[in-house]
Amino acid sequence: MNILIVEDEDKVANAVRRGLEPEGYSVAVARTGEEGFFLVSNQNYDLLILDVMLPGRDGVEILTAVRKRDLTVPVLFLTSKDAVEDRVRGLDAGADDYLVKPFAFSELLARVRALTRRSHRTESVSSLKLADLEMDVTGHFVRRQDRELVLTAREFDLLEYLLRHQGRIVSREMLARDVWKENERHTPLDNVIDVHIARLRRKVDEPFQLKLLHTIRGVGFVLRADPS
Amino acid sequence: MISLHPKQVRTRLTFWYVLVLAGVLCIFVAGASIVLVWQMRSQIDRQVVQDLETVEGLFYFSGDGILHFNDDYHNHPESKAVQERLLEVLSPDGEILFKNDLLGSRTIGGAPFQGEGVAGYSQRSERMADGTRVILASRVHTMQDRPVLLRVAFSEEPIWTRLKQMLVIFFFAMPLALAAAAYGGYKMAGRVLDPISVMTERARQITSERLAERLPVENGDDELGRLAEVFNGMLARIEISFDQLRRFTSDASHELRTPLAAIRSVGEVGLQKKATEEEYRDMIGSMLEEVNRLTSLVESLLTLSRADAGQLKLQVSVFPVMELMRDAVNLLEVLIEEKKLTFTLTGDDALLVRGDRLFLRQAVINVIHNAVKFTPAGGAIAISVSRDGDSKAVLSVTDSGPGIPAEHSTMVFDRFYRADPARSGENKGSGLGLSIARWAVQANGGGIGFSNPPGGGCTFWIRLPLALEAPAH
Repeated sequence: MNILIVEDEDKVANAVRRGLEPEGYSVAVARTGEEGFFLVSNQNYDLLILDVMLPGRDGVEILTAVRKRDLTVPVLFLTSKDAVEDRVRGLDAGADDYLVKPFAFSELLARVRALTRRSHRTESVSSLKLADLEMDVTGHFVRRQDRELVLTAREFDLLEYLLRHQGRIVSREMLARDVWKENERHTPLDNVIDVHIARLRRKVDEPFQLKLLHTIRGVGFVLRADPS
Repeated sequence: MISLHPKQVRTRLTFWYVLVLAGVLCIFVAGASIVLVWQMRSQIDRQVVQDLETVEGLFYFSGDGILHFNDDYHNHPESKAVQERLLEVLSPDGEILFKNDLLGSRTIGGAPFQGEGVAGYSQRSERMADGTRVILASRVHTMQDRPVLLRVAFSEEPIWTRLKQMLVIFFFAMPLALAAAAYGGYKMAGRVLDPISVMTERARQITSERLAERLPVENGDDELGRLAEVFNGMLARIEISFDQLRRFTSDASHELRTPLAAIRSVGEVGLQKKATEEEYRDMIGSMLEEVNRLTSLVESLLTLSRADAGQLKLQVSVFPVMELMRDAVNLLEVLIEEKKLTFTLTGDDALLVRGDRLFLRQAVINVIHNAVKFTPAGGAIAISVSRDGDSKAVLSVTDSGPGIPAEHSTMVFDRFYRADPARSGENKGSGLGLSIARWAVQANGGGIGFSNPPGGGCTFWIRLPLALEAPAH
């Protein structure tokens, strides 16, 4: 998978590249809009990560030019919170998704995964599994070591989401948006998420030796069998 | 050189003032001249006729057929009418029978025209051969059975002389009058505009550092006084918002500095000595926590500043209040359960309110979350929704927490206010929740406040406008 990042901020560009490379992506970085446009027109990329604020031609202009050339490469663009207009302009210009700066890396990773997967759709899995934890999504049933776990509807949704992203860090933003369907993260919601995670941990992990649900301090949560 | 658009209002006023006055004077002079000419002309007209009448009786033919003029008749030969009179007598065929001395060799009207002086006076204005304009009257008079044509004329000269005199007087008097008017006008304009200069000077001294200054109001009833009062009102409002802004900026920078300081010290200490991987992870995690705090703080600030700037658009709809309350309670239920609080929600399902549901939901969530936060484990929270008069619904959230000290009552909704500053660190709150709630409620035409009921605890209330008709679908 080839990804091109068009971003003038070196620190951000390098951090994103360093984060994406271990996930199996090969990443190229362009510092200006012109360079990015040149690269994307001459080479095949599976995803374009485009910053809106660029010196010279801005991200939306690049995107418009790219779409004019009938290039169908998926585009994820990065914008800042205070520019609602940019978001609308970007989506109008043909972007597939956007991310507001500052973003959590896990969030970026999730979007990148979703966008690069879009071409070869994932089949909807009805049964999820991690170590001795099993979930039957259609039957609304969770079991660990042959013992049934009784979960509330919200806990079930939360566990399903974590299972679908198993091994990967899930941020509070992702939970707020995808599990709670809230359009904005706020302090009360953070507390609610924390309580739900604590309750889920009590049911899923407490009675068992092997802990699956881990808190990554300052980042989010991860469901995995490997303790590190 | 006087420019048509001088810079000073004072000069401009005077300039126009003088210009208008000069115009008025010119019109006056023109009118006066016309009246003068007309009046003098009619006077001469009368004089001519009158004189003709007199003269008629003074001619006689002597026996040899020569026409004589009885000059001795006049009692006052020095009278102007006698001295300036031009007199001529002609026979019907145009032969000159008599001329007076003043006329000399000139003739008044030349050959008589057909019917001249036959039926009444023939009166006209004419120019004599030497260029003198005269007003003349002629009449046929039968004298000793012989018809003669008598002509009497007076020069128009006095009219023009008089007019010239008048114009000369005006010519010299007008600049004087205009100069006087200009001087007076300039002084007057100066007097009127003086308060403006004072205001200008004072306004120049008012800067963001000295917003407490006010413009002087000399007379609150006149236009300038009102202007000054309006300015002062504006200054007062600016001063208030400047103060708010200043406080907000210093509070915000303090709030931002706290997590920054934490990130810095954790990072610096982490680099000072070798640590295990576990310890490093912990440090990075701790730094990321602070970053999250910074992020959510910046986002809240942005929301508030967009709200202040009026950039947030309300999506108004009509919905049952209880639905909103259940929605909010549903989200926060786990927190209530976790603290083992006794919880009640009562109210009228039929009450419909009008407003932006998302913003109001956030407001209600923040208020309830606040109550949950400050109620000790095992306490109670009661939420009720009721009708308040004809047009409002009132939502009240009563907790059994410590209540709000009276001295804090004015600051509760202020940005960054926290009941207990020492707790701000672990308690993660941004201090913006209630302030956002207040904005949301007020933007939707409602009110928000709180009271400390006598039994202890605290009651927050939100008043919202009722929608009287059913929701549109």
